[in-house]
Amino acid sequence: MTGFLRLMRAEWTKLRSVRSTVVCLVFAVGLVALTAAIGGSGSTTDANSSGPPHADSVQFAFQSLDGDGSITARLVSQQETGPDAKAGLLLRTAVEQNSPYAAIMVTAGYGVRWQGNFAPDVAGTVGKAPRWLRLTRSGGTVTGFESPDGKAWAQVGSVTLPDAPRAVAVGMFVASPPTGLKNVRRGPGATESGPDWTVSTAVFDSVAVVTATGAPVDGAWQNIDTSGPLPELPDTEITGSFTRDGDRFTLTGAGNLGLLPYGYGADSDVVRDSFSGIYLSAIAIAVLSVLFITSEFSRGVIRITFAINPRRGRVLAAKAAVLGLVAFVTGVFSAVVAFLISQPLLRDNGFRPPAYPDYSLTDWVVVRAVLGTGLILALFALFALAMGTLLRRGAGAITLAIGVLVFPFIIGAFLSLEAESWLRRLTPMAGLAVQQTMRRLDDVITPGPGLAVLASYVVVALGLAYWQLRRRDP
Amino acid sequence: MVMLLALRTEWTKFRTVRSSGWLLVGVAGLTVSLSTLTCLSFRVDSCLPEPGTTCDVDTTRLALIGVYLGQVAAVILGVLVAGSEYATAMMHASLTAVPRRAAVFVAKAWVVLIPVLAAGLPGVYGALLAAQAIQPGNGFTTANGYARLSLTDPLTVRAGFGTVLYLGLVALLGLGIAMAVRSTVTAISTVLTLLFGFPFLAMLVSEPRWKEWLTEYSPMSAGLAVQATRGLDTLPVGPWQGLGVLAAYAGAALLMGGAAFKLRDA
Amino acid sequence: MSIEVRGLRKSFGRTLAVDDLSFTVAPGRVTGFVGPNGAGKSTTMRMILGLDRPDAGTALVGGRPYRSLLRPLTEVGALLDASAIHPGRRAKDHLLWQAHSAGLPSRRVDEVLEQVGLSAVARKRAGGFSLGMRQRLGIAGALLGDPRVLMFDEPVNGLDPEGIVWIRELLRAQAARGRAILISSHLMGELEGTADHLIVIGRGRLVADAGVSELVSAASGDRVVVRTSQRSEAITVLANAGATVASTDRDTVTVGGMPGERITALLGAAGVPFSELKAHRASLEETYMELTRETVEYTGQDLTVGEVR
Repeated sequence: MTGFLRLMRAEWTKLRSVRSTVVCLVFAVGLVALTAAIGGSGSTTDANSSGPPHADSVQFAFQSLDGDGSITARLVSQQETGPDAKAGLLLRTAVEQNSPYAAIMVTAGYGVRWQGNFAPDVAGTVGKAPRWLRLTRSGGTVTGFESPDGKAWAQVGSVTLPDAPRAVAVGMFVASPPTGLKNVRRGPGATESGPDWTVSTAVFDSVAVVTATGAPVDGAWQNIDTSGPLPELPDTEITGSFTRDGDRFTLTGAGNLGLLPYGYGADSDVVRDSFSGIYLSAIAIAVLSVLFITSEFSRGVIRITFAINPRRGRVLAAKAAVLGLVAFVTGVFSAVVAFLISQPLLRDNGFRPPAYPDYSLTDWVVVRAVLGTGLILALFALFALAMGTLLRRGAGAITLAIGVLVFPFIIGAFLSLEAESWLRRLTPMAGLAVQQTMRRLDDVITPGPGLAVLASYVVVALGLAYWQLRRRDP
Repeated sequence: MVMLLALRTEWTKFRTVRSSGWLLVGVAGLTVSLSTLTCLSFRVDSCLPEPGTTCDVDTTRLALIGVYLGQVAAVILGVLVAGSEYATAMMHASLTAVPRRAAVFVAKAWVVLIPVLAAGLPGVYGALLAAQAIQPGNGFTTANGYARLSLTDPLTVRAGFGTVLYLGLVALLGLGIAMAVRSTVTAISTVLTLLFGFPFLAMLVSEPRWKEWLTEYSPMSAGLAVQATRGLDTLPVGPWQGLGVLAAYAGAALLMGGAAFKLRDA
Repeated sequence: MSIEVRGLRKSFGRTLAVDDLSFTVAPGRVTGFVGPNGAGKSTTMRMILGLDRPDAGTALVGGRPYRSLLRPLTEVGALLDASAIHPGRRAKDHLLWQAHSAGLPSRRVDEVLEQVGLSAVARKRAGGFSLGMRQRLGIAGALLGDPRVLMFDEPVNGLDPEGIVWIRELLRAQAARGRAILISSHLMGELEGTADHLIVIGRGRLVADAGVSELVSAASGDRVVVRTSQRSEAITVLANAGATVASTDRDTVTVGGMPGERITALLGAAGVPFSELKAHRASLEETYMELTRETVEYTGQDLTVGEVR
């Protein structure tokens, strides 16, 4: 093993003893920093001026309850349009959006949940429909219960609603949040994104609204369809419905209820965006890598290298190891610098709590993104090295390296959406997914697979380079 | 005359290098190919307008999209005409043959510009023809409010002609920068970063003021403004002004390169 | 430790660079590897080092192929191309990475720099070096591992007379230590006094493989050099008597096909004065020209004037 370390030491000596190395590395860090500064200064948001992110748009079928009482129903079935699809019982002090409420519901992915007026969800049992649910109201206090059979009831949560009037609206509701992003092409190079709303269907039976004394309340059922034109895509119109067939009530609708996680929907991943200069930095690193190998070929130094070490594969591996390490360290360093530059700028421009959490370098998501950035840069460097080894001439190698790494990003905007999303999944730029710090709906690929795509390009390229290196005369 | 000798020398060097021919083919071929591909994939319903507006696709600009790739070949050509000599130490030979460096430099510029323009013409023309044939099939018909792409329409002529000039200018940009930095790899990456970096940054910022500024001063975005045939009053920079911005960049690069060439030891 | 080449063949496209070449470079002497430009010398050397792959044949160092050597730089040191240096790199660093990759201690770098006389410019960047300095740097690299075999491709190229002497001494000293030395050149004059053995190739083929003295006397033939002030008379007399006469200098005549005593007698009888008579010793240059006359690829126009045969 010391033999290989010797080789690495020799390659490191080669790298550090040439002036162009320092120039490339300075540019690599500088470009990321510059991009972070520009991106940070040039982006503003007013997310905080609209209050904490929450949603209140559901399909609500209700009656009026005067005074204390309860509503009980069995959720027979729920169409699982996504893990956050909700169906259950809702009590509101008023019918308008964002008025105080309490709800007990079944979520498709997480089981029974209780929401007390835009407070975080309280979890009940993990289960699916069919399920019995109940809300009881006593003065200003509302309590939620669940039961598997309608006989044995377990309390899930309780809340006191402020200024609750005597008459409240109680009933059933259904909501179905978006599970993906809908991209709309406004023209070549112009895209708009918004959540892709889906409609879910819920069926209830054994519905009973009773007063505190046990007297049934059997008024007319009204329904509010709050899932009309939804914010982000004005041309999208989703309609819900409410039908009653004797004892069975069927509700359909899209929307959501309750607190939303940070970054829900089309919000920005500011941590990742501050590292986006890595694209430009990759060019500087590609130059370093290409020069590292092609300068040996153009001057014939490669013959000395292979005369001293005839095992060419090990030489290539040593170059790759040294270059990879240097690129990794540069990438991590650049990411840290970019983070430190952009975060204060972004905070001044409105990207702060509660809408955007205050991240620091010690947070795991940030650490992961920083390390991921280093990893991407190292992989880019190795890809460029492979190109240089294959083509042996700088001009072709750098064009190919830059082309494969950067071009799909540019060209994608002009193709159809389908083509672009495939491009982003199957070309090396998929590797950028490791920089994600939050789950955005428009990310076409997650960090793991994305990195795997980039890594496979590198492996194939280096494999080709190794094969050619052994075959051809230097 | 010294100038004629310089031109003859540079032209001979140009046409005897194998990559020159391929790069010229690339300028035309890549432009036509990308334009064709894009036109094939972009249908009239690929665009959804905001309510209350219509989606007015600039069919000419769409047709000339291939220049995004074609320009890379043009840049490399400019860089190689400048830089190949340092790599193979031919510079000594040419400088002893033609003592006046200014003449050599000007000759290089002509030897870059004329062939690129000559290759750009069929590339642009071919792209327009392909678009003219494909677009109606993808829904860009008069029924949908799109006149057929006409090669005689003055705005289209301006767009096409301007695109050919664009190609020539980026090639000169490559020449100037390569003469200044003396390394083909550095020159190519610098020019490509200069061209594609501005639009990239523009995508990152959300403030419209910044976006506009980055587009106005970007050699590529400004230069390609000459391709616009619709929505002319909403462009951040006018067609000819945009090309002028690119010309300014190319001119600055040529000045830098020429100065470096004249003052430096070969 | 010797170099053995057997049946080596290599083509580049349609050009046959090396054609069925076989020779041995023995230790303890300096072997000159000579041939016109393009004869295949550099290609052969690269094949010995395992860089270029031969189409046929083998090249062995110490009985083994180069690639199987455990620590190549300590067995074979080579200078193939003096300009194989990154111009932005310091001389010291250029040797340092070689030492590192060969597993040699860093102090060897200082030692060989001292040996070739470049210690003063160790920290200068190689781009500013003259051709002679670059040659020395290349030689230093070859000496790093104190190898038992040395191969130099045109090492004298660009050296001043002082440098040529220095190299000659260096190579002879190494040969005296029992090293096998192969040094190539296309200018024979440089090898005068340096080489003990010659391998002459032309157009990729072996033309001669023998000791210097043998080749020289073969080329010299039985010719005799006569120094006389009356050249034309001497020429007439001797030519009429049937000898082949060539005039090489204003006052010398080279005579072939006639023993020295007869020449003396003839000239004496004719009254042609002469001051010196000695056996002609061909210069290495002449030897070489003779051997490779058929095989020179690139000849200029024949410009012999006034030669009499």
